[in-house]
Amino acid sequence: MLNHWCQVRFASTSSASSNAFQAALQSRATLASLSLFTAGSIAWYTHLYGTLPFIGEVHASGSHLSDEGLHPAAYPWSHKGLFDTFDHASLRRGYQVYREVCAACHSLDRIAWRNLVGVSHTADEARAMAEEVEYEDGPNGEGEMFQRPGKLADYMPRAYPNEEAARAGNAGALPPDLSLIVKARHGGADYIFSLLTGYIDPPAGVEIRDGMNYNPYFPGGAISMARVLFDGLVEYEDGTPATTSQMAKDVVTFLNWAAEPEHDERKKIGIKAVILFSTLTLISLYVKRFKWAPIKTRKIFYNPPVDKHH
Amino acid sequence: MASINAVKKAVMLSPTVRTLPSGVPVAPFINLAARAPASAHDHGHGHGSSVRSDLPAKFVGGVSRSPVSGLVSKTLVTAPTTTFFQPRTLHTSAATKEPAVPDFSSYRASNTSSNRAVSYFMVGSLGLLSASVAKSSVTEFLTTMAASADVLALAKVEVDLNTIPEGKNVIIKWRGKPVFIRHRTQAEIEEARSADWKTFRDPQSDEERAKKPEWLVMLGVCTHLGCVPIGEAGDYGGWFCPCHGSHYDISGRARKGPAPLNLEVPVHDFNDAEGKLVIG
Amino acid sequence: MAFANTFYNTIVKRNSVFVSTIFVGAFAFGIGFDMGVTAFYDRWNQGKQWKDIRHKYVEAE
Repeated sequence: MLNHWCQVRFASTSSASSNAFQAALQSRATLASLSLFTAGSIAWYTHLYGTLPFIGEVHASGSHLSDEGLHPAAYPWSHKGLFDTFDHASLRRGYQVYREVCAACHSLDRIAWRNLVGVSHTADEARAMAEEVEYEDGPNGEGEMFQRPGKLADYMPRAYPNEEAARAGNAGALPPDLSLIVKARHGGADYIFSLLTGYIDPPAGVEIRDGMNYNPYFPGGAISMARVLFDGLVEYEDGTPATTSQMAKDVVTFLNWAAEPEHDERKKIGIKAVILFSTLTLISLYVKRFKWAPIKTRKIFYNPPVDKHH
Repeated sequence: MASINAVKKAVMLSPTVRTLPSGVPVAPFINLAARAPASAHDHGHGHGSSVRSDLPAKFVGGVSRSPVSGLVSKTLVTAPTTTFFQPRTLHTSAATKEPAVPDFSSYRASNTSSNRAVSYFMVGSLGLLSASVAKSSVTEFLTTMAASADVLALAKVEVDLNTIPEGKNVIIKWRGKPVFIRHRTQAEIEEARSADWKTFRDPQSDEERAKKPEWLVMLGVCTHLGCVPIGEAGDYGGWFCPCHGSHYDISGRARKGPAPLNLEVPVHDFNDAEGKLVIG
Repeated sequence: MAFANTFYNTIVKRNSVFVSTIFVGAFAFGIGFDMGVTAFYDRWNQGKQWKDIRHKYVEAE
């Protein structure tokens, strides 16, 4: 009886081979060879690139931890939270530190005087500061360039006219532009703060070339910039004691603003967007259920026609 | 009813397919290898005379006709035997009555009117929030088309009027175009105001053009083909365009030559307290 | 449910009223929501924003 039924079926021909495949899959030889292959691949990769695959921070022997720089601590910035704006009094102090200390070497190309208006200075203050700087403009009627006092629309003056001059003035090291420095470095504000306050004497066994300085937070440890912030270097107009860490905190807050001028508005829009879109999601789930409930729970009857002549 | 049954019996036909005791259907006169005739519409796509795709290939066996045993079905593949076999039968326990419907009354809304209100409120809120979000998105998108802050910052120019002596022209740049500022003398003002401006080709009084009589502010672009006119030149003591010889008077009005219009006066304002002129 | 019926009869019953209520409501909601979020944001960041410290520098001028 069974054979009869089997004969009329077009039987699947894969069952025998699939059994063999499964047996191969489950065998110890397969397990061992696969493990060996995996271990070999990792060893080969590690040998070739000096680091384990997929784990960027873990190093095999051969490299040095100081190449990465010391990991900065996470500092409680006043603008760190989801709802927190910049501390604008700190921005104003930070601008002062930048102007009096950092601007001697570092440019701030992407910030114009008008950007300070309504952030850390009034329009009159910003205009007065801009007018202290001479800008080249022109050409005039005779086709010559001329100097004029700055306007709100002008960008921050640079310490050096070009990159070559900057390198020449700093023993070959280019002071980077600070407009986006907080975004451009791993660790962001924490890193810049640690770097500014982290200058120490080189530990025993670390040799620093002449003209270089030791900073454990800087990748490689040797940095061209010397420690610049010392207690009492600037005098804050609001009477805040100008300690090294206070100045570092203020200037890093200012640089963070320079990198993200939209920061305050962005967080406000973020609050609105999260509230609106989560509410919309919940209500649309409710409406979806409301619309589908009758469709999913309906019962369909079929009433066969009844014979009337019965 | 009986008569209908009689008719049914009369047309009853024997089944066309006979079943062997083994369960194999026997249809000895069906030609399974039949092909459709080649037709004129067949463009060689394999229709018609090709091998039927619904037939299994010959090498796996299949149904064949043998003169001895009639229709024979055999398979050349060893298939694993079916372990369990149970003939399928129709479900015969169908209830004769309506099936009992569970009691859903505890799920039913006790108050249909508040239920209705809540549903409409939810749908309305969805529409309200969506409209609000859509409005914000559209306005945000449109503001990206507006002038950016650095362009707006350059859109206004301040000029210190104290540095311009009487009877002198000053040319400044505003939005990439030259702007003429003339500190007119009393004689020039009288000349400009006394002219019979109604007969000019672009009639405009001097009062219309100069907000303050001693200051004349104009775009320094010739209205003919866009050259920059020369100051204190021409037949009327005003400006003269060297390209095609248009003459403007001391109020910047076109008087002679091909220029169709007077020199344009930009939007400007005087800041009397600081003695400044704001253009833009 | 008097309130539910009032809501239904005054706003929902005529579709034109319902739709225009939604659009007017969206406009009002946009303004109100903006004010609400701003009020919260300003309270959360009291003393930090420019408008909180502006008076110190404007008076000096």
